[in-house]
Amino acid sequence: MTVGGVKSVAAPIYVVQVVSGSSEIASYLIVLLFLVSLLMNFTDIPQRIQLQRFSSFVRRKLYALEEMEVDARRKSVAYMSSVGIREPSKILEGFIDNFFLIRPVEIEPTDIIRRFKHLIRVRESSVREYVRRVLGGADRSVQYSVETVLEVVSVLRLLNKLVRHYLELGLKYNNWILVMQLAIQMPELVEIARAYANSIDAFTAGIPIGDSAGPLVAKMLVNWRETSREISDGTNLYETEVDGRRIYVIKALGPGSNVGWPGEALEKLVEELGGAVDRIITVDAALKLESEESGEVAYGTGAAIGDIGPEKIAMERVASKYSIPIDAVVVKMSEVEALSPISKKIYEGVVKSYELVKKVIREKVREGGTVVVVGVGNTVGVR
Amino acid sequence: MMLLQQFDTLIMALIIAFALLLLTALLPWLISAASSRSRAVREELVEVVGCLRCDYESSKKHEKGDYVGKVVGTCPKDGAFLVVKAIYVERRAQGRAGY
Repeated sequence: MTVGGVKSVAAPIYVVQVVSGSSEIASYLIVLLFLVSLLMNFTDIPQRIQLQRFSSFVRRKLYALEEMEVDARRKSVAYMSSVGIREPSKILEGFIDNFFLIRPVEIEPTDIIRRFKHLIRVRESSVREYVRRVLGGADRSVQYSVETVLEVVSVLRLLNKLVRHYLELGLKYNNWILVMQLAIQMPELVEIARAYANSIDAFTAGIPIGDSAGPLVAKMLVNWRETSREISDGTNLYETEVDGRRIYVIKALGPGSNVGWPGEALEKLVEELGGAVDRIITVDAALKLESEESGEVAYGTGAAIGDIGPEKIAMERVASKYSIPIDAVVVKMSEVEALSPISKKIYEGVVKSYELVKKVIREKVREGGTVVVVGVGNTVGVR
Repeated sequence: MMLLQQFDTLIMALIIAFALLLLTALLPWLISAASSRSRAVREELVEVVGCLRCDYESSKKHEKGDYVGKVVGTCPKDGAFLVVKAIYVERRAQGRAGY
């Protein structure tokens, strides 16, 4: 106890000396931590820091978007020069920021489709006239490709402007939530922009893209033969036979970048045939979910077309008018794949969907019956 | 001496705490950087050329100006038209496969 007592007297003095030295630093640190915690919890400093972090991230991505736009402009100018357009830069500048379309009034839905269709047609004829004026008597495929290239550069410009708009708006009003949302969406936006930028190579070189799945199936069905006639502006009609069934095939006029008017063409054809059609099969590329594999093929009911309204409703109306069953065969792919040169995986999906269309014809249409197959999509690289 | 040792321990503890904090903050970036290091892929544009009458088919490198449906010659088997039946991108991993 005595020995212990001596130790117990000496030791506390020693410990107190040690602790008093480091405890001073620890005290400072605790006070510092407390102050920092106070600043972080009860002021806007963290949000300001985040705003700076997110805005610098958005700016970095914006540089990437601008580079893509510059590259796309350069490629489109080179392409227009190669097809004989004089002063291509001037043509490009005259197109970008112009030729916008104001959506029709939606609060009054009566005849909205007719109004929408009218506006779309007017815009398209304006664009067509603008390009025709500078191209002269060039081939229609070249004209369609020039139009598409101009549209692509226009989309990239719009994307850049929108991103910059929301960034500047967020910084102007210190709206860190807006800037944060923009930063979170930037990787997806950059990927979409990259897909558009890369699609210029496909459009100028005339290579089929993922969205060409429908026209490719149409071409396979007619054994790569030439068209019978142009049923609608820029939309071809083919006739063939599959195991004793009469098959009418509709696809856009190629090999330039063109989607045609598949709804209007189907409507015209069915009316010409007096509604004597046993089945309508639509084939198109469809956006896949992240969990799905590219090139997967699915079968369902309805009009497979990614249209904003008029063409799709034309298909639905004519099918319901004559009570014709309408099927949808889709090849799944991502948005990037839909705009990029077609990959082997998606091409295998195209072959599968061709087999599926033939199976549907054999199983669901009687011998001697009539079927209309519509190959929906961009027919770039597919005549 | 002991004071210095205790001081060192405190500093060491703070350094470890800071390092752990930094590691936690950088972990998502480190993981994404490690997973994004994929193998280089070579892309090649291939076109399938086939006969309109028989089952003859062959694939070759895409030639500029070719499109699906273009007549590119005659079939070596029966002399019918040879057309481009498909054009697609084939992706091949560069270098040797890992063991």
